[in-house]
Amino acid sequence: MTGEPEKLHCFKVENKFIVKSGCKKRMWRSLKQILATDRALPWPNDAVLYYSINAPPTFKPTKKYSDISGLPAPYVDRHSKLYYSNADEFATVRSLPMDITAGYLQLRGATTIVG
Amino acid sequence: MEDVLILKDYKTVPDIVHEYSPSLKFGHIPLVIDNGSYQCRVGWSIHDEPHLIFKNLIARPRKDRCKKDAEPPVTPPIQIGNDIINIEAVRFQLKTQFDKNVVTHFEVQELVCDYIFSHLGIDNEGSVPHPVVMTEAFVTPNYSRQLMSELLFEGYGVPAVSYGVDSIFSMYRNDIGDTALIVNMGYHTIHIIPVIRGKVIEEHARRINLGGSEIICYMHKLLQLKYPVHVNAITMSRIEEILQEHSTIALDYQEEIRKWANPDYYEANVKRIQLPFVQPASSSGLTAEQQKERKKEMARRLLEINARKREERLAEDEEQLNQLLALQDLIEEGDTEEFNEAIKSFEIKNYGDLQRQISNLNMRIEKNKQRIATAANAEEPPEPRPTGRWQAPSDPEAFQIWLNDTRAKYREVLVRREARRARRAAMVKRRTAAAAERMRAISRLAAAGDDFGYRDSDWDVYKSISREADSDSEADGERLVELEEALREHEPAQPSHHQHQLHLAIEPYRAPELIFQPSMMGNLEAGLAECMEYVFKHFSPEDQLLLANNVFLTGGCSQFPGLKERLEKELLEMRPFQSTHKVVMAQNPSLDAWYGARDFAGSNEFDNWCITKEDYYEMGGEYLKEHHASNRYYKSPAPIIDNTLAPAGDANVIKEEIVVDC
Repeated sequence: MTGEPEKLHCFKVENKFIVKSGCKKRMWRSLKQILATDRALPWPNDAVLYYSINAPPTFKPTKKYSDISGLPAPYVDRHSKLYYSNADEFATVRSLPMDITAGYLQLRGATTIVG
Repeated sequence: MEDVLILKDYKTVPDIVHEYSPSLKFGHIPLVIDNGSYQCRVGWSIHDEPHLIFKNLIARPRKDRCKKDAEPPVTPPIQIGNDIINIEAVRFQLKTQFDKNVVTHFEVQELVCDYIFSHLGIDNEGSVPHPVVMTEAFVTPNYSRQLMSELLFEGYGVPAVSYGVDSIFSMYRNDIGDTALIVNMGYHTIHIIPVIRGKVIEEHARRINLGGSEIICYMHKLLQLKYPVHVNAITMSRIEEILQEHSTIALDYQEEIRKWANPDYYEANVKRIQLPFVQPASSSGLTAEQQKERKKEMARRLLEINARKREERLAEDEEQLNQLLALQDLIEEGDTEEFNEAIKSFEIKNYGDLQRQISNLNMRIEKNKQRIATAANAEEPPEPRPTGRWQAPSDPEAFQIWLNDTRAKYREVLVRREARRARRAAMVKRRTAAAAERMRAISRLAAAGDDFGYRDSDWDVYKSISREADSDSEADGERLVELEEALREHEPAQPSHHQHQLHLAIEPYRAPELIFQPSMMGNLEAGLAECMEYVFKHFSPEDQLLLANNVFLTGGCSQFPGLKERLEKELLEMRPFQSTHKVVMAQNPSLDAWYGARDFAGSNEFDNWCITKEDYYEMGGEYLKEHHASNRYYKSPAPIIDNTLAPAGDANVIKEEIVVDC
């Protein structure tokens, strides 16, 4: 296998995209950037593009599940905004350290930059 | 008898370099590459099975920046695919060429292609003389295809390339007719692609941005939050294994989770996963008494060593003192010259210095002698531990009673401590009962009369006001520690393998349920069933019936047990009353795309479907030759250059030359 980039494989004449270590790295565009530039171009109306086939947003109301056990959760803890399903879970939810609480909220996608 | 599952922890086997026979070399046999975001599968089109199946990842270790010497920095070796033996060791250095399901990082792609071609044994000089069939994402952006063509044509000199969509290859492989609703469940995305009479209806296809990797991440974080102790032992590879072997999709999710609320059901069905662990060495048969003996032995030895050292130092100091005193005598005898010579050898400057050194030495010797004296006194045996709560009675019955008693005391102290902590926490917040009481107490204090403090119990008021931990809680804390120690010594310990087990109850059902309810992780897109319903709505009822009767499941993630039944149930709910529907699974969900592409490469008209080198140079890298299993080609329009904007800023400024006299 390649030890140093100078030693090439016989089927290649020169490296196309691989750079030697220490040379200037080429910045590859991420998918978001590629899609943004695509959006700006004047495509014909019938063209189907990557972002045209995104799934639609859901219309059904989301069901709430307890963060710690996964059972259906009718209640929310006021202080930490975690969902819980019964009194024992409530005791656990209140006793969780802050980083685990934050982890559960992040898992659910409930963290916002504000507050 | 509990059922404990053991994790197998598969290790990858490095790939061999395959034989590159002359028939392959001179026959221009097409090479079939299924370039997936999870795995890459490569093989020759004349063989039955792909030669190489590896995870599409490279591990690139970071260079050490500390080498600032003249030597050039050595690049550490890059591990690719199956060369990565222990993936957890390099977890943070992993890089992939994919961004979701589209290739964007072509340096990594070139490294992977090098790996592929070298492991296939290709030894041709200067180019790879085989036509290549490559899979690409459904509706790939032109930019990505352009770079891929550039890499293959210009980098490797490939004579012809054909691009196809993996799910459509898989459909044709499974021979289910030419009208189907393909549901491709991949690593980063789930595609729903309707195909009617051989024509892929791209504008009504939909892609859900959720796939195997999101499911793995979700379960990983879930288990890490549930078992913070085992954060390091819960690795991504183990989660992958749990998902692949022990997870199912529930037929009715609401009912399933309600079953688990029942503790008996839980006990009967919980899955216990045994994590590998190291047996601690203390259980080598030593009883508590022998351990105590050992500790005393070591303490005694330490004391001996210290005493010996002190004596040696004492002897040295006394020796030096004698020499210096001899020097002093020289002066008193009046031999100044000899004195000066002598003190030079001792590095002393004059008589005053000598005096100082002698006094220092004297002090040190005194101190040492004192320390030796106290050490000798302390060698008496330490006082016997006070009896009472620590000492366990030897009589077995009394021992049990004592044990229960101690446990009760422990629990009591714990409860008291919790209550105190809760009260303190409530005191800090506004508008709680505890805070109001605290205010009342403070105002009472302020209004207290002159006879405050005559009784000792008056001062307890300050304990109830204080917001920080006070002496009471400290005392409680100490008692807690003592009781814990006593209990630990005498209580039978839980066998350690119980402490290293993960209990999976709802988690194996919860993580795959993300496919149907992406809102569980904060993704606001429609789940699989809702999306399928949406796609159906765009077709006429006759077409809908055709599609519903041939729902084709493919892709790695479609291998969850219970998925087929669940989809049938969802279809029953969304289709009109008494209409038919059928769900078909691919025979080999992971490999059918490669098999389909191989059949495609082996067909007679393959040459018509390839982009040749001439085509590439003529039409540009974005060009795609369409065929029954490819994307549609939309040529990128030229970017708009708006000529109505104002010209560049300095067009109207008159430039003058100014001569400055210095």
